[in-house]
Amino acid sequence: MNEEVALTPTLKAVLSEFDGLRYRYTSARRLRVDLPSDALPAMLELLQGRAGYAHLSAISCVDWPDDGDFELVYHVWSYTHQNLVSAHIRIPRDPGVYLSVYDLYQPAGFFERDIHEMFGVYFEGSPDMEKFILTEWDGPPPMRKEFDSEGFVNDHFTWQEYRPEWLEEIEEQGGGITTRPEDIRL
Amino acid sequence: MFMLHYCTGCGAIELPPAMTSRFDMERLGIQPMVTPRQADILLITGYVSIKTLKRVILTYEQMSSPKYVIGICSCTVNGGMYWQSYATAKKLSDYMPVDLYIAGCMPRPEAVISGMRTLMENIRTGKADNWKDYYQRYDHYLGNQQGLFGEKWQTPTDVIAEADHYGLSGPGTRGEHTELLLQHQKPLEALEMRLGLSGKTVEVES
Repeated sequence: MNEEVALTPTLKAVLSEFDGLRYRYTSARRLRVDLPSDALPAMLELLQGRAGYAHLSAISCVDWPDDGDFELVYHVWSYTHQNLVSAHIRIPRDPGVYLSVYDLYQPAGFFERDIHEMFGVYFEGSPDMEKFILTEWDGPPPMRKEFDSEGFVNDHFTWQEYRPEWLEEIEEQGGGITTRPEDIRL
Repeated sequence: MFMLHYCTGCGAIELPPAMTSRFDMERLGIQPMVTPRQADILLITGYVSIKTLKRVILTYEQMSSPKYVIGICSCTVNGGMYWQSYATAKKLSDYMPVDLYIAGCMPRPEAVISGMRTLMENIRTGKADNWKDYYQRYDHYLGNQQGLFGEKWQTPTDVIAEADHYGLSGPGTRGEHTELLLQHQKPLEALEMRLGLSGKTVEVES
């Protein structure tokens, strides 16, 4: 798979430094790289310093509870090559600790703080792991797959009766709600 | 009616057309106002995240009575399309008294104006007096607020003192939740003022 991909010489030089890489273009300007988690900081450093990938667009996190993994995806963009590299790594869900790349890309501080809040992944060396958006939150990290959002809502909030006039008009004519949300819920 | 349109969520996008030349709310006596202290109406125009709700309550308590709250959009009624979300408040009337809901996702400017006129009529006939309810049942509202923000929750406004001052305190003004508040409530103090001259600071006697 790897040989079929035409790479720019700089990118080729960077990727050839590492063993155990898999990469393919997912679209014309988007290269997906899967690599072992311990190789990522070195690769980002080379991408930034040698290949001109100056901009960290985002860090995203995917929860794979069945595999016991978190997948971290580092999206770095090169203005010179007009090309995005998505570096995918897997880290074990427990303890869920990884290294910060704040020293390479300063925007990483925000992304890491956000991922820490939403998934509970701790980034060693990140400048600030305090609460970010959910300032009042004291529950489990809400974007983990095992978090039951609906159960949480039912425990913490109340509902009010809502009978709009248009529904009453329909019911007067013998109609009404035929399919309720709870009937089609998965 | 001066409305503070503190924009939360998406419904605020319907207010510029309602205010400007197409529908021109001003001809009906409805105007936007820039500060809560001079506004009569608080418009909540959509979903309120828990973080925003804090600010909404602070804003509401700063407004001078009589004051009215309009919940625009389905999200303020029962959470709307965010009903399953852990991050948004569902029922606005749990946390502050709401005089009027304008349901819809989102309501068109005609609906907003029609709702405003209903509120005007309710004010004229004396039906809209939910702001008193905040003083009379403060314990209930404070309890719900504490449920979301934790027991340490305190606003800069002393609602109980206000209720006593205006003679509006009722049996529900004080209760177990206000007891909790009194345990940690810090009295408000004026901020210290310092004048400085070329690096030296001069203490000002208050």
